[in-house]
Amino acid sequence: MKDPEVMEADFLIVGGGPAGCMAAIRAKELAPEMNVVVVEKAEISRSGAAGRGMDALNNVVVPGISTVEEYLEALEIVTDGVFDPTISRVIGERSFGILKRLETWGVQFPRGEDGNYIVNQFHPKGRFLVEMRGELKKILAREVKRAGATVVNRHTALDLLKDGERVAGAIGLDLTTGEFKVFIAPAVLLCTGGAARIGLPNTGYLHGTFDCPWCNGESWRMGYEAGASLTGFEYTARSSMTRDFNGAGQSTFIRHGAWLINGLGERFMERYDPERMERAPAGIRARAIIEEEKAGRGPVAFVFSHLDPGTIELIESAVFDVERPTMRDYFRNKGIDIRKDPVEVVMTEVYLCGGHGLAGLVADAWGETEVPGLFAAGDSLANPYGFLTGAMCMGEAAAERVVQKDYPSPTSPDTASKLKRLEEVRLRHDRGRLGVSLRDFEYKFRRLVNDYVAPPKSARKLQRFLDETEGMVAEQEDVPARGPHELMKAFEAKAGLFCARMAARASLFRTESRFGLYHERVDYPEKDDENWKTRVIIRAGMEGPVVEKEKK
Amino acid sequence: MNLSFNQESCTGCGACVKYCPGHVLEMGPEGIPYERYPDDCWYCGVCQVECPQDCITLLFPYLIR
Repeated sequence: MKDPEVMEADFLIVGGGPAGCMAAIRAKELAPEMNVVVVEKAEISRSGAAGRGMDALNNVVVPGISTVEEYLEALEIVTDGVFDPTISRVIGERSFGILKRLETWGVQFPRGEDGNYIVNQFHPKGRFLVEMRGELKKILAREVKRAGATVVNRHTALDLLKDGERVAGAIGLDLTTGEFKVFIAPAVLLCTGGAARIGLPNTGYLHGTFDCPWCNGESWRMGYEAGASLTGFEYTARSSMTRDFNGAGQSTFIRHGAWLINGLGERFMERYDPERMERAPAGIRARAIIEEEKAGRGPVAFVFSHLDPGTIELIESAVFDVERPTMRDYFRNKGIDIRKDPVEVVMTEVYLCGGHGLAGLVADAWGETEVPGLFAAGDSLANPYGFLTGAMCMGEAAAERVVQKDYPSPTSPDTASKLKRLEEVRLRHDRGRLGVSLRDFEYKFRRLVNDYVAPPKSARKLQRFLDETEGMVAEQEDVPARGPHELMKAFEAKAGLFCARMAARASLFRTESRFGLYHERVDYPEKDDENWKTRVIIRAGMEGPVVEKEKK
Repeated sequence: MNLSFNQESCTGCGACVKYCPGHVLEMGPEGIPYERYPDDCWYCGVCQVECPQDCITLLFPYLIR
């Protein structure tokens, strides 16, 4: 076996999404001599959850329209009081600056008739959502290259390197050649998105998910194994989604005033959250949809016919031209015209996400975890409902800290032992002793997530999931996976199973019900603010995961 | 299969293969792209918008058509 290629960097960014791009740009801007390397699983100008397009910045504190304090008040509602205001404050404070930067690069923020940005309400309280147009991801990628950062496309990170207590880089897999590549760096930013492939969609398609299916919690597994803590894994989110159409897009409907109706034509949110209606926190909306279906009042749908033609056009331009052009094809295929036809919604599979939920790595105001030099941003960081804006704000913050701290270069990274271990894993996948396909392996644990981890939860079911999947953890490396693509997917499945088990552990630990549908415990049906208005933290202990309440 | 490539207008430039975020596509021996891993497609439409010849049509699979 030949020695793998070694690349040295001052700042290694794992994941070229909006967080990673902004981190690279900011680092090069502050320290042009710094060697910044971005490792990207796909091609940076089109990768990840934001690769095709995004139609809004959901959370910008626009001067004169809202304040940072109001933003924090809105988050208090959205998160049911379980969030770390430190990071959310940073996001609120930086958000408008991010918008202005994007604007100078050519991202468009359309203005209304009064000449001001179009700012809509999406949160239960306050107006923070700014309409956006243009090819955001391509523009960010262009700026990364212009700034002089090195982009290594088509590589996925498999493990982090350590030098004593500090992070020391990562080992990647070249998805074209199948070779391992070593990246040595004193500062590493993990930003590979959330975990989409946790529950099983009702269509049965493994990649027919709400969130980007190529992001599956790899940062969380790697960060945890390196010594960082996780939080929010009991927030097992399920969104409403256009029936059978993979991917997000319904926030566009909600913010422009679409109504949710049941099969009887009733605007049923009146029963569940009469004040906030469709803008209720996601977990409450999700429960409402499920309750309506359960009571036989389905199918549930969005309707638009009460909206004026200008608003309809705005919705169509946002979804069809920017966020999700394939939805145009899908509606055409189904014969749906939103001017007159309802758009049926279903509940998605369970997923975990930092910027679209509560799950993620625990970090300080700069995004630095407890592992010195190891940062997290974007959907990999616990930045509740920070969305796209939060990703870019925290990417920027991490870069500033890395430049400021000037971390010493690793002197003795554990490269040899980590490489040896990865070679063994590869060999086991190559032998494939288990003899079931990767597809069946993934299908099995995701079906079990639907049965035992998806709400409504109970200790009995959650424990059953942990028991049932324990054997799967032991044999996961014996699933046949040959060649770089399959090896990548084997590592995605491994991260997914890891996340699902962490979700079960955290859900078991939080003995109350909270977050609407998302953490509904039938054995603890009441919300208990006195004991549980706090984050649940998971960290690696000597004998396995330690689950505990956050120490204030 | 999720995609149809117009064989007449495809020039084999490989843009769809290059940009597909899911590593779904590969170049075939005839110089025309094909879906190497059709199960991994998310219908994100990146291949479609990146095709300079506009020769990719999305075919929704039977279960969700």
